Amino acid sequence: MDKQDIVPLELIHLAWAYGLILLTVALSRLRGIGQGKQLLWASFRMVVQLIAVGYLLHLVFAVRSPLLVLLMLLTMGAFSLQVMGARIKRKMPHFYRVAGSSILVGCGAVTFYFCLLVVEYTPWYDPRYLIPLAGMIIGNSMNGASLAAERLSSEMHDRREEIETAICLGATGRQASEPAVRTAFRACLIPTMNTMAATGIVALPGMMTGQILSGTEPIIAVRYQIAIMCAITGAVAITSLLLLVQGYRHYFTAAHQLKDVGGSR
Amino acid sequence: MVRFENVGKVRRNAEGKDAAVLSGISFEARQGEATVIVGPSGGGKSSLIRLINRLDDPTEGRILLDGEELAGIDPLELRRRIGMVQQKPFMFEGTVLHNLQRPFFYRNAPLPAPGSAEVSRALESSRLPAELLDRDARTLSGGEQQRVSLARVLIGRPQVLLLDEPTSALDRPTSDRLAETFRDICRSERLAVVLVTHDLRLSEKVADRLIYLEGGRILEEGAGTAMLLQPRSEEFRRFLEGTEKGEEEERPHG
Repeated sequence: MDKQDIVPLELIHLAWAYGLILLTVALSRLRGIGQGKQLLWASFRMVVQLIAVGYLLHLVFAVRSPLLVLLMLLTMGAFSLQVMGARIKRKMPHFYRVAGSSILVGCGAVTFYFCLLVVEYTPWYDPRYLIPLAGMIIGNSMNGASLAAERLSSEMHDRREEIETAICLGATGRQASEPAVRTAFRACLIPTMNTMAATGIVALPGMMTGQILSGTEPIIAVRYQIAIMCAITGAVAITSLLLLVQGYRHYFTAAHQLKDVGGSR
Repeated sequence: MVRFENVGKVRRNAEGKDAAVLSGISFEARQGEATVIVGPSGGGKSSLIRLINRLDDPTEGRILLDGEELAGIDPLELRRRIGMVQQKPFMFEGTVLHNLQRPFFYRNAPLPAPGSAEVSRALESSRLPAELLDRDARTLSGGEQQRVSLARVLIGRPQVLLLDEPTSALDRPTSDRLAETFRDICRSERLAVVLVTHDLRLSEKVADRLIYLEGGRILEEGAGTAMLLQPRSEEFRRFLEGTEKGEEEERPHG
């Protein structure tokens, strides 16, 4: 099969596809189980956002300027930070500074490592590679880092007695919060590890499916998928670790006193 | 040994307003003596004791340990010199021995072995039978756990022992036995003991010096427990009456 052979989707085809959403809404109406409005609104957002990003990518691909590509990546990073901020109820002190720098450094480092050493395409800013790869790395890291941040603040709250007992016995803030940091790190890695374990058996991953649909040899698509899974795991782990090792410090004063942050936002 | 000089603490409350939890606190806790601070809940007792090992810092005045200001001592070093037993004993995962080794673990020192002088001494001072060493600390009774937390502090050979409501979660006989242990330790180890409690019976058993704290201020202070019989302030009298009444109500059930 030739790469050019992919079936182009026309608007009428999209309308048919959207019919599935309308069917779902109709079913929920019929049974009076709600969620109809939410479904419509979410699907509407999805359509608008994707069309917008389609045109934006079209523009970025046409211009092929490194500056524009980097700007696009930064915007993606900023959006992921905003999504994280909205999702997490009980935020750690200095949340935006900690999470923002972790995403920037963690995702940035892994993305460029991956693009320069693994995929080895030129030029380095080629948006056709950089943007989708960075997108997957940032998106997954955002989920991981959210879990890490959420878990760290609940652990620091729930383990208050344990932490203060350790402090009383001469522990540093780092020693006292080690169990909390450990638990948070484990929690943020679980989804990625589960995905790795289930990949290929339970679900065919999106990137691989997309490549196969657009005509790539399955063997090549699988190699890409293996590579991106490694990159995602690395990025999730590094971003979350950066967040945790910066984050726990903000719960303590210089005199290793546990600050009274409670459930503050 | 530990001296408070006009110490105050202002804390921001949930509404964002500053409120004084302690003001004008001056007293001295001496070596080989048990200083007991009694008063109603919310009167500032826990806030006060937390200042001594710097779990918290005062906003006014100064606190001295052997003439040296606390703020000038390395906090980790300070907490080795000033041990604290908390209200609810927290047992770390593992055996009693693991719990006793914790302070050594934190300062990266060699861990004391079960038969070592340090372990035996800590067990003896806190009246813990050596058979408990291999037991999972979390399966012990409340009284035993409190003794483990005492031994865990004593094994570090502190100069000052802080006790924050150490018996409030225990029944009477257990609490009475623990009170005797506190008193003996204070004498035999020549420690300065600072105990905060709302429990008059515990204060009576332990106190060399008694301080009545209410509303963040010291209202009465005296040697021994004589002031329990002759309260001078209206607040202390009311506290004594309230507590006695509470105890009488408690008796038929207990």
